[in-house]
Amino acid sequence: MSGALPFIIRRLLAAIPVLFLVSAATFALGRFAPGDPVTVRTGGKVSPERVEAIRESLGLNDPVPVQYLRYMGKFLRGDFGESYRRQGREVSEIIFPKMWVSAQLNVIPFFLAYLIGVPLGIYSALKRGSWQDPAITSILLFLSAVPTVVWIPMLVYVFVLRLDLIPTVGWNGIFSTSIILPIFVLTIGSFAGVARVVRISMIQVMGEDFIRTAHAKGLRSSTVVSRHILRNSLLVLANGIIASLFSLYAGSLFVELGFGIPGIGREMFEAISGRDYDLFMALTMIGAISFILANLVLDIIYTIIDPRIRYA
Amino acid sequence: MNEKKLLIGLGAVVGVLVLAVIGVTAVVIARGGGGGSGSNASDPKSSAAGPRVQGELRLPGDDPLTLDPALVTDVSSATYIVELFGGLVMLDKDLKIQPDIAKEWTISPDGLKYTFKLRDDVTFSQSGRRVTATDFKYSMERAANPQTDSPTADTYLGDIVGAKDMIRNRAKEISGIKVIDDTTLEITIDAPKPYFLAKLTYPTAFVVNKDQIDKDRRNWTRKPDGTGPFKLSEWKIGERVVLVPNEKYHADPKPNLKRVTYNLAGGSVLTQYENGEIDLAGVGVNDIDRIRDKSEKLNKEFIEKPELTTSYLAFNTRQPPFDDPKVRQAFGMAIDKQRIVDVVLKKIVPPAEGILPPGMPSYNTAIKGLGFDPARAKQLLQESKYQGRLPRVVLTLSGQGQNVGPTVEAMLEMWKANLGVEVEVEQVETATFFQDVNRGKYQMWELGWAADYPDPENFLDIHFFSESRQNSTQYNNPEVDKLLLQARTERDNEKRFQIYNQVERILVQDAAWVPLFYGSAPLLVKPYVKGFQTTGLVVPILRYVSVEK
Repeated sequence: MSGALPFIIRRLLAAIPVLFLVSAATFALGRFAPGDPVTVRTGGKVSPERVEAIRESLGLNDPVPVQYLRYMGKFLRGDFGESYRRQGREVSEIIFPKMWVSAQLNVIPFFLAYLIGVPLGIYSALKRGSWQDPAITSILLFLSAVPTVVWIPMLVYVFVLRLDLIPTVGWNGIFSTSIILPIFVLTIGSFAGVARVVRISMIQVMGEDFIRTAHAKGLRSSTVVSRHILRNSLLVLANGIIASLFSLYAGSLFVELGFGIPGIGREMFEAISGRDYDLFMALTMIGAISFILANLVLDIIYTIIDPRIRYA
Repeated sequence: MNEKKLLIGLGAVVGVLVLAVIGVTAVVIARGGGGGSGSNASDPKSSAAGPRVQGELRLPGDDPLTLDPALVTDVSSATYIVELFGGLVMLDKDLKIQPDIAKEWTISPDGLKYTFKLRDDVTFSQSGRRVTATDFKYSMERAANPQTDSPTADTYLGDIVGAKDMIRNRAKEISGIKVIDDTTLEITIDAPKPYFLAKLTYPTAFVVNKDQIDKDRRNWTRKPDGTGPFKLSEWKIGERVVLVPNEKYHADPKPNLKRVTYNLAGGSVLTQYENGEIDLAGVGVNDIDRIRDKSEKLNKEFIEKPELTTSYLAFNTRQPPFDDPKVRQAFGMAIDKQRIVDVVLKKIVPPAEGILPPGMPSYNTAIKGLGFDPARAKQLLQESKYQGRLPRVVLTLSGQGQNVGPTVEAMLEMWKANLGVEVEVEQVETATFFQDVNRGKYQMWELGWAADYPDPENFLDIHFFSESRQNSTQYNNPEVDKLLLQARTERDNEKRFQIYNQVERILVQDAAWVPLFYGSAPLLVKPYVKGFQTTGLVVPILRYVSVEK
């Protein structure tokens, strides 16, 4: 672990140009995309002359690099700016409550996906060659092939309209009945993927020479599985965890739309189509920063899981 | 053997976890899901899905983009603003202009000077301060102040003498608004315009509280201090808006509801309605057959009412091939609107004849559209200066995604079958679309217009007067211009409406627009909700509503 600190510092320094590129590209894409927040907001009801005057006063007519520097100056001071769409609202007061909702919504499915998916994947891999493996694989394939937008109306019809067990919509915190269906849909969508990844990486590792050696030197099967096969498959899994952790941040658009949950996925969608520049800039930047940090953590975890990997 | 042990162990762990999850879920269900916790813990009664309060009306809603009357342009924000604020005059549920804070008014013989006599018993709903004529002068000048960035000030206040100067930063006040005393306000306009009063019913002319705005210029709309029948009690972005009645509201009828909760979180509105979570729901074209079915129990809760909107096909009258009126007429005559309405739209809307929708003053059933006449259409195309050989024709639509609506599909089919013209479709994102419509970049596009105030001027003058900024078809007809100018200052409404009828007849024949369908709002309303109706325009409707449950 001696090389950890310089490694972390080096990686953080390397993140600066990445963030610069991400911010500049996002900013430019937003500004050069046709249309602007004022046109969207006023939707053809307002004279072009007024639209122009408002653009001018919002500073949208300044050269894009000038606007970019102005934005980044504020961003570095921790000011995310103001929403162009929801007039008079700070970006931070809109996005943080919504990100918190999305995070809560996704945290249970996240754990459930791994709690169900990992054992299932292991089981399936160990049962390779018997009927259980193809059976599980096909069921998983089926479950992950049904899209969210199909699950939602089906479940709503059965549990809400026919059985009348659960209210359809709304967000009343994580400890309420209205969260059950969204959690179910999100878990179904992800645990199959986890199981498949675990199964494949297990099977890969099982074919390696050192596993044969382990068996040959007389280790018990359970020891081989837990100490050699599982440990080596963890690498792939760790990668997957970081990717799915990201869904905690990015939200889940269709589930949020379908069940009426005020999460960040929907806000992001509306911000992009409404050209709410500062709002999607803030979301992109926060996303990029957390992605970089998560990958850094992942690299450190790698060195713990697999001593062959060194800080470099 | 040991592998088996491991598997059994794994199975046991999973089993326990699954049981635990089911257990927790069951407990939550048993508790009725009322208990909240975490940062979003909130009074369960006030949540969208929580139990309703006696006398509460629960509506689906959209997040207001602003609650500032000077800034609003979108219908969903205006829906809240008209309940929270008020002005000199307002529209009632039949779209008639009624006194609000002004109890009466006189118009000088030349039609230029409006003298409003204000009520002396109107107060702001949150602060309780009395509203005087000075507040109106302040509010309209605030809207016209360039720093306010009001998108609508020139449209709604621009007729007042001196207002345009202030909007363009050439004056510090609107010279045409004079405060005579606390209860007398005098407004002078630049020409005798009979529709001026109707413009004052739009939020731009509403009264706001100077004290509140001066204190917190940025955040005052979070607790707006207006004079409307309701007050804002809660607004949580993306979750809900809650209104409570303003006990001191001055006009009759006074609000009857205990509270109004708008659920902003979305989700399927019809499902929520059927599940008893909201009291009112719009019906889309996919559900209309089911609801219209007499054996369906929802059928009894179904109402259909026209809206003041017209959807239309618009042509760029300066660009080939639509610079020739014959081509425009041919394209109009080749569309069988009735068939589209019957088959595709399931009679959810009526086909349009003229430009003005029913319910609009001066609407005249005698005005007929071009009609469906494929033979004549083909002939017109031959007679046109293009002699049937058209350049590439593109129809531009606003919207995303791959699917153009079935209505457009049907029109494309009809043009192909009846004219032999293959029209290409281009879909453009909303943001781009409006900008480019204004810039005259498209050949042909489909759009709708919703009335802002109940006067034909709002349809005909702003879209077809040659110098109007919103004349996006670049239509230029001296005869129409002459008639429109005449109508602007004609003080006899009957004569004025006759002029507009004449304009409309010319426009329908000249086909800069092909009116397609009039708007309609099919709606489900719970039987215990009394007095609700759709109005075509945004009016303070909630004070007419009561809930008997």
